[in-house]
Amino acid sequence: MKMTPAFLIVGALLVFWASTFIIVGLPSLTMKDTPSDIWRPLSPLEREGHRLYVKNGCSYCHSLFIRVSDWDIGAERIARAGDYAGIEPAILGSERTGPDLSQEGGEHSDDWNIAHFTNPRYTTPISLMPAWDFLTKHEITALAAYVQALGGKDADVRQKRQREWKRQAQAAYAGGVDRNIEWLHAQVPEVWRRMPNPYPATEAALQRGKRIYQQLCINCHSPIGDGNGPAQPFLGPPPLNFTILRRHLVENRYIGGIFYYQIMNGITGTAMPYFKKHLESEKIWDLANYVAVSFLGYTDANTEPRGIDASYEGNWQNQYQPPAVDQSP
Amino acid sequence: MANFIHKPQSAALAFMVAGAVWFVVGAVYGMFSAIHLVAPEFLPHVAALVFGRERPVHVNTMLYGFTGTMLVGIGLYYLPALLKTRLWSEPLAWVAFLFWNLTVLSGPLGFAFGYTQGREYNEYVWLADVSLVIAVACLIVNTVMTIVNRREPQLYVSIWYFMAAFLWTASNYPLGNVMWHPATGAMPGLIDSLFLWSWGHNLPGLLITPLATGAAYFVIPRVTRTPLNSHTLSLLGFWLLIALYSHIGAHHVLQSPIPNWLKTVSVVDSVSMVLPVSIVVINLWLTARGYGGRVWNDPPARLVMGGIVWYIITCIQGPLQSLPFLQRVTHFNNWTIGHAHIAMLGFGGYIALGAMWHVLPLVSGRPVYSNKLINLQFGLITFGLTGFFIVLTMAGLVQGSAWHNGETVLRVLPQLSPFMVMRAALGVFILTGSLVGLANLYLTLRPARDEEPLLRGEEAA
Repeated sequence: MKMTPAFLIVGALLVFWASTFIIVGLPSLTMKDTPSDIWRPLSPLEREGHRLYVKNGCSYCHSLFIRVSDWDIGAERIARAGDYAGIEPAILGSERTGPDLSQEGGEHSDDWNIAHFTNPRYTTPISLMPAWDFLTKHEITALAAYVQALGGKDADVRQKRQREWKRQAQAAYAGGVDRNIEWLHAQVPEVWRRMPNPYPATEAALQRGKRIYQQLCINCHSPIGDGNGPAQPFLGPPPLNFTILRRHLVENRYIGGIFYYQIMNGITGTAMPYFKKHLESEKIWDLANYVAVSFLGYTDANTEPRGIDASYEGNWQNQYQPPAVDQSP
Repeated sequence: MANFIHKPQSAALAFMVAGAVWFVVGAVYGMFSAIHLVAPEFLPHVAALVFGRERPVHVNTMLYGFTGTMLVGIGLYYLPALLKTRLWSEPLAWVAFLFWNLTVLSGPLGFAFGYTQGREYNEYVWLADVSLVIAVACLIVNTVMTIVNRREPQLYVSIWYFMAAFLWTASNYPLGNVMWHPATGAMPGLIDSLFLWSWGHNLPGLLITPLATGAAYFVIPRVTRTPLNSHTLSLLGFWLLIALYSHIGAHHVLQSPIPNWLKTVSVVDSVSMVLPVSIVVINLWLTARGYGGRVWNDPPARLVMGGIVWYIITCIQGPLQSLPFLQRVTHFNNWTIGHAHIAMLGFGGYIALGAMWHVLPLVSGRPVYSNKLINLQFGLITFGLTGFFIVLTMAGLVQGSAWHNGETVLRVLPQLSPFMVMRAALGVFILTGSLVGLANLYLTLRPARDEEPLLRGEEAA
């Protein structure tokens, strides 16, 4: 075969356009932009946030689609074509340095998002995301509004829940320190409130708990557990001051089960996220032991009611005893 | 000035020099983003230097600025040389140079301040798009007119690739960039991802690949001083490239809700890409067979052959990772980043550098200042890139399999830091390699140097 100039030019273009018609032309003619069940239009503020998302390159680290194989985030809802109706550009992303955001709306409270965008390490100490504090307050609000809208109507349900509980949490906080803690404890199911920490607070366990505290908790609750971390000014109600819990012994002990439940499940409405996706059971118990021993001075680990020790656990004596109960009236 | 832009091969030289400069700029931005993945608070509060704005500058400057620009310069030399004529219009090539580099310049100037369309590999804003299309149009006219005015009846394979690269880019770039929607440069809805990845994958495939293949087809037979192994094989490779490559962009959104038939087409054609790639590699390999010493002892040719080796590696990896079952682990993580680096720097970059050092004495009339510096550059970049390949592939497997096991991104993130530290350390080697190359280029072209007679022919003999 001889390559003449005409053959080269016309041939190359013909094959290109034929190929391209298959890969772009046919889908353009056949794919429908029909909204899915959760789709809703973006508000002007959310659209502004979407522009900021696009122009600051958020998509280079955050994908916007959940795959069938995504166990950790995909159990509830896999991406559907109609989720993206009318969004321009709907950048799906190619990399997850940070998590997928397509169902992120309502996962966290608004104030958590504001603190997170101002400096991601305020809320997530291990984050690699740049601080966006050079954006104006309005721009950060818009970005947060967009992220809160991801997930459409599902996100609206979650957001409604966040706002409802935020109202109650704020009312409880306004009632004073003790009233606030009573309210917090009242949200924990009875069975957890009566359950001591089943794992011994050995040196190794406390070290494990400390590492988790430093990776996930430290910038809200602060290194000394008084709730004055760098995120504190952004959050309402502010992070809990653990040292106050010394006043709230239940039957002269603070119950590990309450810590466990709150770490596992978070406190919807406040900035306290849930960690049940990120931490295995023993890690949460270790963290509960670390918080109890470091900031309260004692733990109820290994006290009654208790079951059989796990086979790997040695004999451990609880040296973190609660202070003597003042019996005087 | 007027004399200068009419001087034969001046535009070719300008493209090559610009390519070497953009390589340094792109590597500096790459270095910054690598540091930011280790230490996010490095240079805080600087809006222009956050990862989301650095990355597009790095990527586009490397693609269009370094590899693209340098390969166009090389082509502008071999096109008239192979056709035994002069470039039809040197000033027109300078116009292309101007518009091309304006587009590349809009990256560091625009993206850093938020002027971007934000779609991966389609980030240039509308005005920069127009500028690039003008540059490509000028190059098409120039190439066609040079072909028309040729004195060599046969069109060598390098010419097909050079011509076709611009024809495909001119057709494809406006389509993938959705240039008829200037405001956002995007289509509404999920269909946009198909337009996006159509160009996103055709950029390496239909712009860089043909330019680099053309350059390799030019350099290797010249160095071995043998004719090309097979004309028929090069024909097959050329037509299979365009018939298959333009289909495969959709494998980037394989697990998103696009139509199933489209996924099938993109997976089948991704796997079929083994054919045109092996054809190019085998053809050049057989051309060099028996003359390995000549290739190895010629530093520029060694770079080009290195590029061919990376080509075969990246194109074994590509089809494998496009298989849906494997993609569950290899997608969305650093594996893909490693793949992109060996494709663009390994294949495109090595060939661009090697061919530039090969062509430079022919264009400038001076021998390359130092072959040792070329070897140093080869060593630095090879060490850095091989390390990248290993580190990023490992990091990708850690991420991908952890997620597949139900781990969360938050949990896997701390495990990545050793890999990210190594990646930043290896980036130093690539950055140094780019600086060594620029220095060597400067020392070669430095005006106040004692002229030495061109010894290249005798040296090689």
